[in-house]
Amino acid sequence: MISAIYDLALTTGANRVIRGARIEHVCGDPNLGPEKDYAYGMRIVRTALEAVQTAVTGPTLFDPMDMALEREVSHAS
Amino acid sequence: MRLEMGTFPVQKMTFGSRTRYQDGHLEVDKAAVLEAVQYDPRIATVALEIAYPGESVRIWPVRDVIEPRLKVEGPGVTYPGICGRSITTVGEGRTHRLSGMGITEVSSVNWHDAGGDYVEIYLDMSGPWADLLPLSKLIHLCVVVEPDPGLGNEAQNDAVHKAALVVNDQIAAATRHLTPPEREIFELHEVDPALPKVVYIWCVHSPQAMSGSPTAFCTATYGLTQLTPPWFLHPNEILDGALTGPYRTAFAMSWTVANNPLLLDLYRRHGVDWNFVGVIALRTEWTTQHEKQLMANQAAKLARQLGAQGAVLTWDAGGNEFIEVVRTIQACEQLGIKTVFLTSEDDATDAAPTMLEPLLEADAIVSTTFFKTRTLALPDMPPVQRVIGVQQKAIGPLRDQLVPTAGSLPPPPRYDDHYGFTTLSCIEY
Repeated sequence: MISAIYDLALTTGANRVIRGARIEHVCGDPNLGPEKDYAYGMRIVRTALEAVQTAVTGPTLFDPMDMALEREVSHAS
Repeated sequence: MRLEMGTFPVQKMTFGSRTRYQDGHLEVDKAAVLEAVQYDPRIATVALEIAYPGESVRIWPVRDVIEPRLKVEGPGVTYPGICGRSITTVGEGRTHRLSGMGITEVSSVNWHDAGGDYVEIYLDMSGPWADLLPLSKLIHLCVVVEPDPGLGNEAQNDAVHKAALVVNDQIAAATRHLTPPEREIFELHEVDPALPKVVYIWCVHSPQAMSGSPTAFCTATYGLTQLTPPWFLHPNEILDGALTGPYRTAFAMSWTVANNPLLLDLYRRHGVDWNFVGVIALRTEWTTQHEKQLMANQAAKLARQLGAQGAVLTWDAGGNEFIEVVRTIQACEQLGIKTVFLTSEDDATDAAPTMLEPLLEADAIVSTTFFKTRTLALPDMPPVQRVIGVQQKAIGPLRDQLVPTAGSLPPPPRYDDHYGFTTLSCIEY
């Protein structure tokens, strides 16, 4: 799940959560201009594709802006 | 900060030769009030009409209901900051209010052009919808007003709301030199230090995210509607109108904010059952997880700095705004502040949770029944004899069906008693 309010996705049990931009524009950022917006959107989508192929043991956050694509294990309460 | 509130109960309202108040009878000089409103060249048309509880009357579209209030002594003006009014800090001196009535802003102007948020509220003065709303027990002085159609949306909003405030000033001024029949002193005086300290965290919607504008009209703190970090308000400021509606339910009007029973109860029991330390107003509808969590952290930090051992929390919106609301409860609880949540519940059909993010820390909840009128299973409202305002109304999920306002109508989509005006709950015994 790609979400701008990713903690909600994690606490409600989505297994693979990709950090989106903002509620108004989850998969991009129009302030970047068309080319960079597209590149950012592609990065989010690629992260999602990466995530869906990654084994997880519980709700896990994937951050498209994290170079190493390190997974931040959630502390869902 | 000491505020004396003088109350003038209104039991009768008529149009007359001059605007005056005597023994519960408010006379309104219609021509003078209309002239004052029309002084603003942005106003195209304006009319005044009176509606009484029990009448077969429907008022549509209701943008706001304002309780007439006037600053008689002390700095500033009531409803500060709105539509260019003074932003001088209020809450001291003496204020007069006319109780039992509302100045009702009736106009087809919508909140903003971005879509997704429409003025949906109508008021019935009798029947099943009236039975559910405290506003229907008031005598309404309706300001039916339309602005110059050539203006932009924000200028239209400013013009019609200012018109209602001009009427407020005209009406409330009738009490300036009178002795109030009822008086109450509001002051956060020193109390027994053994009493627990309680803060009220009052979450109010901001229209900024949905409208895309930091100056869109809506719920305001000193007239400011943009997304801002938590405010610390003295309750007297709120009694003078520093926190105002409207938003999209009949419970998020300026009248309901000024008469919030939770605020008044917290205040009146200050020094008796607890030590009321004030109000944190938290603007909601931030649009990233980071911002939502930051506001929750900061509101809880502020509550701790105020020494709060307990907090009560309300909100006036829905959807993703629940995140900063419930995260504030969580952050307070994690700092050892016992927090009670007053809220309506969402649709529980198909065993869905009635709250968007049911965090364990939100363990003390007072339900004020359902968010949606659909879940309340209300019938369509019966036809009425007289309509004040616009004679047609768009209905249906796509708002594409125009029907006569006077005919049978479905209730507005949202009920949502934000502040506990009614005694409804989700399960009635």
